[in-house]
Amino acid sequence: MATRTFSIKSMPGFTSIAMLCFALLYLPIFTLVVFAFNAGSSVAIWEGFSMRWFYKAFANEAIQEAALRTLIVASVAALLSTIFATMAAIATTRTAPYRGLTFKYAFINQPLMVPEIVTAVALLIVFSRIKIWSGYQGIGYILAAHTAFCIPFAYLPIRARLESMDLTLERAAADLYATPWQAFRRVTLPLLWPGILAGAMLAFVISLDDVVITEFVKSGGQETLPTYMLGQLRRTVTPEVNATSTVFLALSILIVTIFFFISRKRN
Amino acid sequence: MNWKLTASAIALCASFGSANAAGELNIYNWGNYTDPEMIKKFEAKFDIKVTITDYDSNDTALAKVRAGGHGFDMAIPSGNYLPIWINEGLALEARPDQMENFKNLKEEFINVPFDPGRKYSAPWMWGTFGTVVNTKYYKGDIDTWDIVFKTPDELKGKVNVVPEMNDMMYTAIAYHGGEMCTKDKELLKKVRDTLVASKPNWMSMEYGTIEPMSKGDMHATSDWNGSAFRQRLANPDIKYGFPREGTFVWQDTLVILKDAKNVENAKLFMNYAMEPEAAAATSAFTRYANAIKGSEAFMPADMKDAPELAVPKDYPMEKLGFSVACPPDVTEIYTAIWTELLK
Repeated sequence: MATRTFSIKSMPGFTSIAMLCFALLYLPIFTLVVFAFNAGSSVAIWEGFSMRWFYKAFANEAIQEAALRTLIVASVAALLSTIFATMAAIATTRTAPYRGLTFKYAFINQPLMVPEIVTAVALLIVFSRIKIWSGYQGIGYILAAHTAFCIPFAYLPIRARLESMDLTLERAAADLYATPWQAFRRVTLPLLWPGILAGAMLAFVISLDDVVITEFVKSGGQETLPTYMLGQLRRTVTPEVNATSTVFLALSILIVTIFFFISRKRN
Repeated sequence: MNWKLTASAIALCASFGSANAAGELNIYNWGNYTDPEMIKKFEAKFDIKVTITDYDSNDTALAKVRAGGHGFDMAIPSGNYLPIWINEGLALEARPDQMENFKNLKEEFINVPFDPGRKYSAPWMWGTFGTVVNTKYYKGDIDTWDIVFKTPDELKGKVNVVPEMNDMMYTAIAYHGGEMCTKDKELLKKVRDTLVASKPNWMSMEYGTIEPMSKGDMHATSDWNGSAFRQRLANPDIKYGFPREGTFVWQDTLVILKDAKNVENAKLFMNYAMEPEAAAATSAFTRYANAIKGSEAFMPADMKDAPELAVPKDYPMEKLGFSVACPPDVTEIYTAIWTELLK
């Protein structure tokens, strides 16, 4: 007789709870996207199909500037944090376990645990001092903050990839007279590449949708798309916000999809 | 010697920077609260490049300006927050009362409790708080807080109350004939009982009133006039009431920051904001009333005679207070009552 295994799927109420969760997650987003195509200027009363809010959003200079700035910040933050995360991941995995290694893991991943508002207030205090001393008001503060909190997001997939890679590979390369640099360049890095790409994508998306830290760190004229949208909500909401959100959502989904296919192909 | 020359040349280049305009101005304002056309006209007139940065709450703005190093020249805090800005030395005593366009200011906005005589701030937009009723469902008197606190049978279960503690507490206090920020225990007990007793007649406590009121899901609500104005444009049955028991005026105020780098440009803007045409442009964009005489001539047709945007001529002015921030010990009592109501 076949052993009966525990199946969560056969538990009473499983389907209804699952459906409820999905409905709560996706129905509001679905509604938001639908009303982006509303001909009227309401976000709740349907008055026919139109693309006019998309045209309006695309023609809005403030949105253009904010969108461009968001993409630049996310790209730079993703690039820098991935470089740092890769170095950190190699340093914490390509070594025999030693006392204090777990502490280092925890230390690197701290930004995941610290509530975002705490980081934001801390950065506000420190950066405003630096802004007074240096007189520099540029985009560098946002870049630095985003790079810092993106590191653990880039680090986790890279470390996971490294842990599944056998240490003997590098040893074999060394046995075949590869210098440490050659072993890294020709063996470790190509194998690690999917992890690095995945880490970079994740960091990019995390930077893309950050609002709390950016709101507190930004100087004059440094609106990103999320902070711009937050400001809009205070007054009348028109489907322009829905249209902007929809484009933003599409961009995020696109990036996550690429991330998914890269990691699936390599595994 | 040569390096000195180079250094000063670089410094000279840097001081001109990338901006083509002769001057710069950094304004920190609520999102979606500055008319881009009004800004463009100012830029063209004075050859000053204006940068607008958004905030989403008085608290965020205060936190950033307090921390320093923000680089902003001007901000637009709400009137009830302005005393904090002045007391903490964040706002510059820019003397708008001595500026050329100050003569355009409506008299009732000069001696405001948050800045008597206007030594620090120029007015931005202002509004009132009252009742909004869909007259298709209720034909009775709407100029009373009874709509909310002694809800007529026709409206029971269809009334919304905006969950803004200070505004609703003051409303309930005015309903019982009290003063804003009162500490009178007897009166506050009545306020508490009224709030708690009327809650079962309410359908909801939500900020988002424009859509449900226009659609007819809600039949009445307490609300700000700007929202009432939009509801009427969407649904002509909707009317805004000025409760005779008392209500208040809120006003946002334009100030120059003490650590501003472009004080002279900021003064130019402060004066410009009190020009009738500029004030009308901001009103047309934000859909709120301004405090500038003669701006009516430049207002869009649907705003000129909008009943929501003006206080009725026969309204008893002593019943109309300015929204102010109450002292912490008073706020504590109000919070306790409010928390009990929300339970």
